[in-house]
Amino acid sequence: MFRLMLTTAIAALPYAASAQEITVGAANMAPYLDPGRDHSNVGSQFYYNSFDTLIDRDHTKLEPEWVPALATSWELIEPTVMELKLREGVKFHNGDDMTADDVIFSLNRMMQATFPPYVVRAKDRLGNFTHAEKIDDHTIRIHAEREEPLWETLISLQQVMIIPEAYTKALSGDPEVAEDSDYEAFALAPVGTGPYAIESFQPGEKLVWARFDDFWGDRAPLARVNVVQIAETASRVTALKTGEADIITNLAPDQLSLVDSDPNLKTEGSATALFHVMIMNQNHPKLQDPRIRKAMSLAIDRDALNEALWLGKAVVPSSHTMVEMGALHQPDLVTFEYDPERAKALLEEAGYDGFEITYDTAATYYTNGLLAAQAIMEMWAAVGINGKVQVRDKWSGNDPEMMARNWSNPMYFADPFGSFGVMWAPNGPSQSEGRFNTDADYAEKWERFRFSTDVAARKEAYREVMERVKDDPAVLPLYRPFESWGMKQSVNWAPMPGHIPYVLDFRAGSISLADS
Amino acid sequence: MASIADTAAPRRFRIGQTDLIQKIAIATALILFACALFAPLIAPYDPLAQSLLSRLRPPMGFDRYASGHYTGTDELGRDVLSRALYGLRLTLTLAFAGAVIGLAIGGTLGLIAGLRRGWVEDTIMSLVDMQIAIPFTLVALLILSLFGSSLTVLVLVLGIAGWEQYARIVRAEVRKLGALPFIEAARAAGAGPVYTARHHVLPNIVSPLVVQFTLAVSNIVILESTLSFLGLGVQPPQPSLGSMVGLGRDYMPTAPWIVLTPAALIVALTFSVQILGDWLRDRADVRLRDR
Repeated sequence: MFRLMLTTAIAALPYAASAQEITVGAANMAPYLDPGRDHSNVGSQFYYNSFDTLIDRDHTKLEPEWVPALATSWELIEPTVMELKLREGVKFHNGDDMTADDVIFSLNRMMQATFPPYVVRAKDRLGNFTHAEKIDDHTIRIHAEREEPLWETLISLQQVMIIPEAYTKALSGDPEVAEDSDYEAFALAPVGTGPYAIESFQPGEKLVWARFDDFWGDRAPLARVNVVQIAETASRVTALKTGEADIITNLAPDQLSLVDSDPNLKTEGSATALFHVMIMNQNHPKLQDPRIRKAMSLAIDRDALNEALWLGKAVVPSSHTMVEMGALHQPDLVTFEYDPERAKALLEEAGYDGFEITYDTAATYYTNGLLAAQAIMEMWAAVGINGKVQVRDKWSGNDPEMMARNWSNPMYFADPFGSFGVMWAPNGPSQSEGRFNTDADYAEKWERFRFSTDVAARKEAYREVMERVKDDPAVLPLYRPFESWGMKQSVNWAPMPGHIPYVLDFRAGSISLADS
Repeated sequence: MASIADTAAPRRFRIGQTDLIQKIAIATALILFACALFAPLIAPYDPLAQSLLSRLRPPMGFDRYASGHYTGTDELGRDVLSRALYGLRLTLTLAFAGAVIGLAIGGTLGLIAGLRRGWVEDTIMSLVDMQIAIPFTLVALLILSLFGSSLTVLVLVLGIAGWEQYARIVRAEVRKLGALPFIEAARAAGAGPVYTARHHVLPNIVSPLVVQFTLAVSNIVILESTLSFLGLGVQPPQPSLGSMVGLGRDYMPTAPWIVLTPAALIVALTFSVQILGDWLRDRADVRLRDR
């Protein structure tokens, strides 16, 4: 018996959390880790702990306050050229010193992208930048094609985090050349300069962070973090209650009482900077009449969805706008409304004959996604729309047969361009997938919104863009979901307002353990 | 060495108990079939009707009970009892449709194997062995992933789930019958294989097929429930017993009634149908009937 107990105790040792070690039960684990190519809600959880940008922001604040990171200072030397001084003594997790060449390599792999996944990301947000150049060992310049109103914002994106050049090039083939296969290999063995090195990574399953002792900034508060995918909500809650996990992600509001009622546990949450949206295919033969799509949108009582599914904790927007957008936030715009009578009238005007309108949703990817889909079908039925939910775990946004589906529109950076703009730009992802159309008028409004250096002019142009969206809708923001994390009482952590959605920030000042 | 008396005594004891269990099971099965058949008449609510402001209300007798929703409401405020009754109806429909398809495929192939012998028999029995060797749930998941989970595909998948059992039974019975004098007499009188099969073989293998059919219904209920639980069976908002359990599993700690009602029906249905199958087998098998 004693031997059995001893064996059991020894076997359990690796899993016993020390004072500086925690385990996170995550609903999803990324299939790869490369901050450049990724912009998923899953991946964005993980990059900030292991990678740095040149310019960072104070994430404790809603309003942007730029702070030095791998660049110690920066200035615009011309309207289209920014010069940055690099921090000295920075090391990568593999022991290499960070040089200006690494920075140029990291920036140009995006700004002059040839690897297709980088091309996509570069096009939707970094298209105004032409290249970066090395001035000396500690100075670089970034060149833009046009005067850029969002310099710091765009240079602090996850996609331009810094990675090591020599390490990446040597991952496959010719060690002097950056090949696509190098980037593919990097995504499975990522190396950065952040406070936590990625000690091991099993795609879709597990990630282990270990404190990086040579980090240039404040020492990481945790020695080790295990992130384990636990897909089922009930299993995540059980893992938290049994002590298998210290933090769990993606708790639906229905589950909050279950965690909060346990004296050893607590929850933290916020209306995250992301919209769950319904998208509609403007080019589906049966939906080309905008009156049908307007009716689909007007029939949805988003406040009822919020009250019922989010216990009133979500935020229902009147337009595609968020408070994080600062001066560009326009809460007075009314682009999206609930008006079932108007919906009925539009359907009648359009001669809607009761044809079936399908609404695609993944089974579990979005919190409350399937529930909202079913509730929307009931709301559609109330105005006479014959809707049908299709559970499809495969993305159908590029399928010409797709009529409507759910999606999320995160705020990739704190500007309307970083939320609506990334998805709905002329020739952007939505148009490229064939379900959204733009014309010269839309493009002209877009250009003024994107590149005006005057805030008032940008606001006015954005208002005009929203009018176009209202007249011929392809998207309806449902709400900003209230996302919650469950954790032990001993864990002091909460999502910070200055981050993009879902970031698990475990840097110094962001997390502490009561017993450490 | 055990004597005949030693072995006979527990047998009588078991039969005495089983008779009561069989009666209960048969009564349960009949009640469940009646509930499924008359679901539109006895369900208190439309199974798809939502009441978002009455979500997750517990069953009668608990705090926050919503009047009229005897077994509570689900995550969209739908009546759990009504959904379970309609779910039972759909699950049973799928199970019977699947069992009929399995019977048609397996019975035909078994008959051919038993009558034709040679390479035809070898080929068919190899297919039977393959089907037995491969875990069918995995095959079903693959098919549904590739072809989607429409009701048509689901019925076909459930249909091919147990065809090999029919094939084995029919082949064995046909081979056994083939050696009997009345079959030889029919052949000697000039009856062809199709005539022999239709008029002399099939009538004599009905009993084992009925028993197998009953058991297959029970197995298909479990398979349908499994597939729907995994999200590849019946799609929302249509309820089946498995999909109700699958979609309700996240609410088990906070609203267990969503899962308990359909889960109890799955247990009751499979148990009673299984016992019903045993009872039919006992009645059909002369050797067992005489004990």
